[in-house]
Amino acid sequence: MPQIEFINVSKEYDPGKKVLDDVIFKVEPGEFMFVVGPSGAGKSTIIKLLTKEETPEGGDILFNGESIINISKESVPDLRRKIGVIFQDFRLLDSKTVFDNVAVALEVADSSLEEIRSIVPNVLNMVGLTEKMFKYPKQLSGGEKQKVAIARALAHEPDVILADEPTGMIDPDSVDDVLEVLEKINSLGTTVIMATHDQEIVNAMKKRVLRIERGQIISDKKGGKYRA
Amino acid sequence: MPKSWSIFMATVKKEKLLSVSNILIMTVTFVLLGLLINIVVFSQTALRYLEDQAQVTVFFKDDFGEDKITFLKGNLAKDKRVSEMVYVSKEDALRIFREINKDEPVLLESVSASILPASLEVRAGNISNLKPLAEELKLLDGVEEVRYFEDVVSRFKFWSTIVYIVGILLVLIFFVISYSVVIAALRTTINSKGVEFEIMKVVGASDDYVKSPLIHQGVFFGLFSSFIASVLMIFLGIGITLTNVFPKGLALGFLPGVFMAPWVFSIILTFILLLSGFLLGYLGSSTAIKKYLNY
Repeated sequence: MPQIEFINVSKEYDPGKKVLDDVIFKVEPGEFMFVVGPSGAGKSTIIKLLTKEETPEGGDILFNGESIINISKESVPDLRRKIGVIFQDFRLLDSKTVFDNVAVALEVADSSLEEIRSIVPNVLNMVGLTEKMFKYPKQLSGGEKQKVAIARALAHEPDVILADEPTGMIDPDSVDDVLEVLEKINSLGTTVIMATHDQEIVNAMKKRVLRIERGQIISDKKGGKYRA
Repeated sequence: MPKSWSIFMATVKKEKLLSVSNILIMTVTFVLLGLLINIVVFSQTALRYLEDQAQVTVFFKDDFGEDKITFLKGNLAKDKRVSEMVYVSKEDALRIFREINKDEPVLLESVSASILPASLEVRAGNISNLKPLAEELKLLDGVEEVRYFEDVVSRFKFWSTIVYIVGILLVLIFFVISYSVVIAALRTTINSKGVEFEIMKVVGASDDYVKSPLIHQGVFFGLFSSFIASVLMIFLGIGITLTNVFPKGLALGFLPGVFMAPWVFSIILTFILLLSGFLLGYLGSSTAIKKYLNY
């Protein structure tokens, strides 16, 4: 059974202007998939639809075989704990330490202090930030900030990691580090979907590439390449 | 202590100045609200007292004897509009006159019971019956003069009604002010924590997890401010009880004939203020969340 399935999904923010038009694709568990395309192609919309930040006007989206289109408001937090999200701008809290930034994800799920004390160092260790646990975001490089965001997304042991242009705001030297962490997570069985328009990254990684332009899927190739 | 309360307390500690100023504004609002309710009740009480005192005084001619007055009194007693009558004989009138003018011996020497008129003080159960009674009594044989202080009572009644209406309007206005204060305070918090709320939602926080600390913040502001105002109102009630300004107690406009001790009224007012504080805090924060957090 596919982990994620888009069935004829359409989305428009303004009437008559479709951001996604009849989009169909499936993602199997444990896959690493790039969603590529120019700015405004609909990459971020796919991520927002999966996290139920947006609802499509047409079609259906299945997650682990169940439709998420009409799930109740109360079920959305559970869905978001199964899907970790990483953003281009990191979305970290500057007033909190690295530890506390990761702990936020567990606190909102009412995890106990013991669980937080056990899980947070583990995920920080996974992304290689154990030594920076008590630093503040301002004391970190762009790459390190993104790793904190990855650690936060991993705290719930999600089935899927959605990364929306995760390398867009980090220095070129740190890009490899972040990609390495994402690959490591993927190798442990977590599905990774990464939206990007960085052709160098896509071509170097040799993963499945879903190309989208003007809201429509242009190509979907395993081990594919991307030329902007 | 629930987690949302600790989150809220952390917010209050972090935004001390803002929290203190919000509580101050709301306290002033609730104190004014309490004072306005008190003023309305005091004016209603004063009106009741005046109404109780309102009477028609019938002065009789000298040749209208006590037996005729007693007969007239008997007839009036059958009138359902009359609640109470006091006969003041010429001797009683002299005694009262002497009591009032005891410091003026020259005046007292020149006055005897024979020159003072006997009178009958007539009180009505309903103040509106005084005027027709006075008109009817004027027409009776043996009646020299009928005095009825219509203007004083009706004027006070008019102003008391004005106070009542203005009071209710001001109370409503202050409710709106308090409501806006809660919304403005939470808007500031929501704006300053916008990113945090967004992150919380993205990482799987339930709506209640995000909303509860804000609801608690609004309720706390409302309850704490109304509590301070309530304490002040209790002191006011104790002060009125001790000074015995209203010996019969306070009258409630909507409960005719009911009087209660000022301290009892203060306790009722405390509940009203606390309930208002709670409702304002709750409704204000709910509105702010709906308006600025897209819930």
